[in-house]
Amino acid sequence: MKIMVCIKQVPHQDARLDVNGAGTWIQEENIKFEINPYDQNALEAALQLKDKEAGTEVVVVSIGPERVTQSLRTALGMGADRAVHVKDGAADGSDSLGTAKILAAVAKAESPDLIFAGFMSDDGNLAATGPMLATLLGIPHTTTAVSFQKNGAIQVERELEGGALEVVELNTPCLVTTQTGMNQVRYASLKGIMAAKKKPIDVKTVADLGLAGQVGADAAKIKIEKLYTPPKGQGAEILSGSVDEVVGKLVGKIKELGLL
Amino acid sequence: MIEWSEQHQMIRDVVRRFIEAEVVPNVEALEHGDMPPYDILRKFYSAFGMAEMQRARFAKMIEREKKGEPAKKKSDAEGEGGGDAAAMQLIPIIELCRHCPGMVTAMGVSVGLTAASILSKGTTRQKERWALDILTLDKIGAWAITEPGSGSDAFGGMKATAKRTPDGGYLLNGNKTFITNGPYADTIVFICKLEEDGVAPRDRKMLHFVLDKGMPGLVQSKPMRKMGLHSSPTGELFLSDVKAGPDRLLGEQEPTAADGRSGAKSTFQTERSGVAAMALGMIERSLELSLAYAKERVQFGKPIGEFQLIQEKLARMEVARMNVQNLVFRTLELASQGKSMSFAEASAMKLYAARAADEVCQDAVQIFGGNGYMAEYKVEQLARDARVLRIYAGTDEIQIGAIARDLLTR
Ligand SMILES: Cc1cc2nc3c(=O)[nH]c(=O)nc-3n(C[C@H](O)[C@H](O)[C@H](O)COP(=O)(O)OP(=O)(O)OC[C@H]3O[C@@H](n4cnc5c(N)ncnc54)[C@H](O)[C@@H]3O)c2cc1C
Repeated sequence: MKIMVCIKQVPHQDARLDVNGAGTWIQEENIKFEINPYDQNALEAALQLKDKEAGTEVVVVSIGPERVTQSLRTALGMGADRAVHVKDGAADGSDSLGTAKILAAVAKAESPDLIFAGFMSDDGNLAATGPMLATLLGIPHTTTAVSFQKNGAIQVERELEGGALEVVELNTPCLVTTQTGMNQVRYASLKGIMAAKKKPIDVKTVADLGLAGQVGADAAKIKIEKLYTPPKGQGAEILSGSVDEVVGKLVGKIKELGLL
Repeated sequence: MIEWSEQHQMIRDVVRRFIEAEVVPNVEALEHGDMPPYDILRKFYSAFGMAEMQRARFAKMIEREKKGEPAKKKSDAEGEGGGDAAAMQLIPIIELCRHCPGMVTAMGVSVGLTAASILSKGTTRQKERWALDILTLDKIGAWAITEPGSGSDAFGGMKATAKRTPDGGYLLNGNKTFITNGPYADTIVFICKLEEDGVAPRDRKMLHFVLDKGMPGLVQSKPMRKMGLHSSPTGELFLSDVKAGPDRLLGEQEPTAADGRSGAKSTFQTERSGVAAMALGMIERSLELSLAYAKERVQFGKPIGEFQLIQEKLARMEVARMNVQNLVFRTLELASQGKSMSFAEASAMKLYAARAADEVCQDAVQIFGGNGYMAEYKVEQLARDARVLRIYAGTDEIQIGAIARDLLTR
């Protein structure tokens, strides 16, 4: 079986985030990056399948600049077999659809039996790429998996509102997006990290994938107009008085705003 | 080697992630509570596939031995570069020492000293019986040479004895002290002298025995209270008429007197390169903490980092960091070329690294002032822990002796 895992490199959870000069994205110089946490669960799910089924190949795919190599090496160190790195300035500024088109082109070349992706990315929070990718490929998909099983078909428990779970079954090839906490993500083994430098990373451009002019900032249907930190203090009301008074006022507020 | 490679940095990052999640929240319990370090070390081994790696290496080594092939050099033994193998050992040491040098001591004595001495002196049967379980941390080892009356003069002053018994075995007696993992060890390498009529105590043969926890006549003390390194349990061992069969004598036959000593010496050598890595971890962390504090602590209307006397300490810390890092790089570079240091060079490295770490960690306390003396600011622990580097694995004075002897006999 062949599994493709889509991973995105995002700013590290502890990284200090400042808005860039143009006010359109964060300042990316000198900050630490990591594999998107949701994608880490996706990768772990794939590696657990590989541990169970001999002969399973795990291919990780990522789009982004040179620094993404490090995330791919980490994934290889954890146990993935190969990596595809779409490294091309022409892919910069792609919206979810652009990203999904690039991943779809890679998937067509790889024809995996199963695709895992994180349910959303920690930076964009759009949760759109996975379903768009499945739709472009014409394969079934499901999202927010919290558990995963394969007995012939794929069984997934997915998270719904209010803590409810839904069980779905899919035939392969299919795509599953993963929720964080779905599994305990392994550390890359030390030997794995050393071995990762010998595993192949296949570097591709947008043109290699036949997508010249179809992705990137110019083709994007969504553009970030402005990124800013909401000014402090607006809309905040400080309640004063003794603890009992404050609690009383707080409960009154909650009722007044119809929050309960 | 002039800088850490991408792989080295990846190892560092992933190990750091583990330490933040598993070690840092437990430092208080490890240092000031009753938590022995072994379960976290085992978790560490399993998280990074180290137990598995040890098992694979061991299987290959035993297979070679059984076929009668000669032992290969460390560097090509596992189909990986010797530099890689050394880096996989030293980087975790550096990282753990930023928070808990005691854990490294406990691990180092078990794996690096106890298992290593069984591997270098034992028969294949003995290696299979005792070494593998220690290499994987399933069992904890202790290595016991020091006695109340003999430390630096470990060989000459040793009083522990083995007496031959009529059934071909031995009767062991003696007291050992300052034994790392002594209180909890499952497997103990006990070093003593063979009592023989007509041979003066100083000339007696040195024997290494492997003992198991719970053997009649063997008592393992509770952990001793000490200045620092609290996460490494240190204890005493008392042996009275412990019966040991010849199967427990490492090598399963009595060596010549000279053999016994050179074996223990080669063990010292590995220990000394580990100390440089430990020193680097402690120096790096002390410097980082000191720098942050020097920027943020304001006195006389300025950050204290603007005072030249503080700058001098920071600059010396950086010099120490660069030098010790270069020593670690040299160790790794030598390993990747399948070479090792001379005994005198290893002594010089140990001497310098230990003194540098002690000085840097003490200066960190000074930079922090009263806060430095308080446990909350961490430099206090590092200062207490660093002190031991100048005592164990051969004191400063003993290293100086080894360096000077080598110089004077060239
Ligand atoms: C935390 C800790 C863990 C340890 N773990 C172990 C262990 O696992 N196994 C083990 O066997 N031992 C262990 N040791 C013992 C350690 O190796 C000895 O403490 C060390 O070798 C010094 O011996 P000593 O304490 O008897 O000091 P001594 O030898 O009595 O030295 C006292 C002082 O005299 C100096 N001195 C001695 N001889 C000379 C000389 N010829 N020239 C100049 N100066 C000299 C020394 O340098 C020192 O300053 C441990 C010690 C500590 C503190």
